[in-house]
Amino acid sequence: MAATRRLQKELNDIRQSGLKSFRDIQVDESNILTWQGLIVPDNPPYNKGAFRIEINFPAEYPFKPPKISFKTKIYHPNIDEKGQVCLPIISAENWKPATKTDQVIQALVALVNDPEPEHPLRAELAEEFLKDRKKFTKNAEEFTKKHSEKRPTD
Amino acid sequence: MSSTEPSQNKTWELSLYELHRTPQEVITDATEIAVSPRSLHSELMCPICLDMLKKTMTTKECLHRFCSDCIITALRSGNKECPTCRKKLVSKRSLRPDPNFDLLISKIYPSRDEYEAHQERVLAKLNMSHSQASLVNSITEGIKLQSQNRPQRSRKNQEESSNPSNSNGTSEPAQNGNSSSVPKDGTSTGNPTPPGQSTSNPASVRSTPSPVPSNVSSVSKNTSTTKRAKSVLTSERSEESESSDGRTEGENSMDTEGEGEPLNPNEIELVFKPHPTEMTGDNQLMRALRDSSVRYLKTTANASVDHLSKYLAMRLTLDLDAELPEAYRLLNFCIYVAPSPGQFVPLAGSQTLRQINDKFWKVNKPLEMYYSWKKT
Repeated sequence: MAATRRLQKELNDIRQSGLKSFRDIQVDESNILTWQGLIVPDNPPYNKGAFRIEINFPAEYPFKPPKISFKTKIYHPNIDEKGQVCLPIISAENWKPATKTDQVIQALVALVNDPEPEHPLRAELAEEFLKDRKKFTKNAEEFTKKHSEKRPTD
Repeated sequence: MSSTEPSQNKTWELSLYELHRTPQEVITDATEIAVSPRSLHSELMCPICLDMLKKTMTTKECLHRFCSDCIITALRSGNKECPTCRKKLVSKRSLRPDPNFDLLISKIYPSRDEYEAHQERVLAKLNMSHSQASLVNSITEGIKLQSQNRPQRSRKNQEESSNPSNSNGTSEPAQNGNSSSVPKDGTSTGNPTPPGQSTSNPASVRSTPSPVPSNVSSVSKNTSTTKRAKSVLTSERSEESESSDGRTEGENSMDTEGEGEPLNPNEIELVFKPHPTEMTGDNQLMRALRDSSVRYLKTTANASVDHLSKYLAMRLTLDLDAELPEAYRLLNFCIYVAPSPGQFVPLAGSQTLRQINDKFWKVNKPLEMYYSWKKT
């Protein structure tokens, strides 16, 4: 109940703020604990597409952190093939109930834009990212073209 | 505790600053300082529930504030640290009540219940308007898809009937596809949320909040008016999208009320009325118009004001052919839009209906326009 109320507020605030990099937020009326939205990165090689994510809030929210997973495949050192993402701000050790979802989303967008090869989920991509940036960029661009969603036009 | 120790060592001599400072003058005149509630919000808000603080508790070490209920739940849920900064909080004893802060809040918001009720209403309305907007969106997309499929269907049918020799072998699967799966595909892909289910939710659950009292800000008023219009619209729409052929229903509703659905987003509905002040006067045209002066139209959004005035002139001449003297034929009309009651904005001839609608009429109901003859 407490989670629902807070999430309603957060959802409204986020929708009203009109973030360019996170939009098309869809929430099922009957279950506000699951959000879907479109990450629209600004930096190459991801700026040619958009990526759908799902945010799952636990019933204990905000005392437990939400979980984020990518529904769109992405070639990224910090996001694995299953769409799991390693985001420190929502890890159990770092979570604070005062952290709001817009901060989480901003952290996620920042991570997508600028991969952190020091804490990889896919070691081979991190290595490629560090050792052969050209190849990484080319691969990621092709992958984005093939798998990502269309970017919103406006 | 620890904070008292240094003060015991402290000498009680005044520093240079303390010796020379002059106290700030107390404001005794009627000076008022306006602070918007919005800017205060983050200070008076509990970071856990994001509501205004209720029975404030302050952490003794880091001085962060929470509602009593919230922080106690937080501690119980196993997080023995400050929800804002993660400093260790051993137990409830690491907190202390902060009645002064509660007092401050009650000074700023003397009628807190009212404020909260208002917040609640605004929230409910925003939620609803959003879910309905997305619903309408998804449905129009569904209708678009359907209408894309429809011509294909009829074309295929024609092809089949034109060369019946083929019908034995090849057209068997195609026919199946035409008669059953194509229209179904259209509806299901177009509406990510099943239309029946999602319409019933917002309509039944959300329409309960009481009508807005007059003191609510203009934004919420707007949404409330759209709400009513939309709830009518959505129910009609859902029927339309469920029935396999929405076209006939759409045409019916156009004739009856002018409240009906645009079949596609490129159409606009409008109510055309004579200008209340300029079209008074007792003259032949007005008398002739009396019965048919208000018109409900549905037309493409690309039509311009010029088109409208030509249409009007022609329509009126046709309708009133017999009674209308020659002088009133080929009238030039001046067209106005009324964004709010009593306010009439004359429109330039080249403006399209979509531009007008977007600029003056953001509400989801038929555009209201007024006409009067051009003064020469």
